[in-house]
Amino acid sequence: MKYFSKMKGGKQSPPKVNLSEIIWSWIGAFLGITPVAFLNYNLFSGDDLVFIIGSFGASAVLIYGAVRSPLAQPRNLVGGHVLSAVIGVVSYKLFYPYPWFASSFAVATAIALMHATRTLHPPGGATALIAVIGSEKIHALGFFYVWVPVGTGVMIMLLVALIVNNFAPSRKYPEFWF
Amino acid sequence: MSSLNECTLAITDEDIVQAMKKIPGYLDITPSDFMEVYLVAFTHAMSRLKNAIKANQIMTQTVIAVYEDTTLLDAVKKMAVHEISGLPVLKADQTISGVISEKDFLKHMNDDKAPSFMRVVLQCMENSGCIAADFKKLSVADIMSSPPITVRGEMPVLEVANTMDQFNINRVPVIENDLKLVGIIARSDLVKAMC
Repeated sequence: MKYFSKMKGGKQSPPKVNLSEIIWSWIGAFLGITPVAFLNYNLFSGDDLVFIIGSFGASAVLIYGAVRSPLAQPRNLVGGHVLSAVIGVVSYKLFYPYPWFASSFAVATAIALMHATRTLHPPGGATALIAVIGSEKIHALGFFYVWVPVGTGVMIMLLVALIVNNFAPSRKYPEFWF
Repeated sequence: MSSLNECTLAITDEDIVQAMKKIPGYLDITPSDFMEVYLVAFTHAMSRLKNAIKANQIMTQTVIAVYEDTTLLDAVKKMAVHEISGLPVLKADQTISGVISEKDFLKHMNDDKAPSFMRVVLQCMENSGCIAADFKKLSVADIMSSPPITVRGEMPVLEVANTMDQFNINRVPVIENDLKLVGIIARSDLVKAMC
């Protein structure tokens, strides 16, 4: 019964952010996703290239919405995504006959590696999983996935974060680089 | 106020990092953000406490005191024996009349110059006698500080601290109902109560 009592919760939850934070989060996310989405839908729509993946939405929450979080810092954003992308592609290539296993292995290993390298970034788990789930276009990229969409995408979003976050008077980004 | 806030700031970034290492699991806050929250929260708590705790909760109740007509010699003996630097002075009816402290002695031992213990020692060493020898003829009322600065029992500790800082005094008598002395608070009592 002691085990179940651990699930009781009951601790104090953090307070709500003010309106200024909400507005700057919106602005940052909008300006951050626009370039990668535009590249994907307008500039390179016909090709086999992919410029936007679901995990970028998750990263936007962190780097535009929770800029002080250790999970939102550049080291975590870039390191987390790149490492996880590699793990994801490796996992797909090794275990594609067993997609369920490839999925679990990709996510779990990505997390472990991010912890070990102090690059924990929640969207990294998604980046690893997407390498396994696909679309076929993504599978076809192989390791190029690590450069495009992942590498270029996070660099573009990081640049926007550096510029826009520091426009906000109450914000300062990043807390640390290394 | 600065003396009361000295309790805070022994904590360093390194303390925080060590603490985070000891606590298992990933703590989603940077050490510097934690420090920021800690300092603001601590100051907040100190203000809250300083307003909640009252003078009569931290005062010393058995007060060593002297009367207006007590000889300076007896007053000095009392301070020496009890190892304190100041005493409240009472009228015959037990109401407070003033405060006598080391500062009052120094003031009367250095005529025009700034009161200083070292100056007194210098005078003692250079002259054949000590200037305090004349004091034997005087009583407390001759050199005490009057009227005294006092606080009431129900006053919050924050106000007591501000009073001490404002008038640059190290002890303050606590009074209730028409100047009746009920206790005394020294700076050390303030610090002890808060830390």
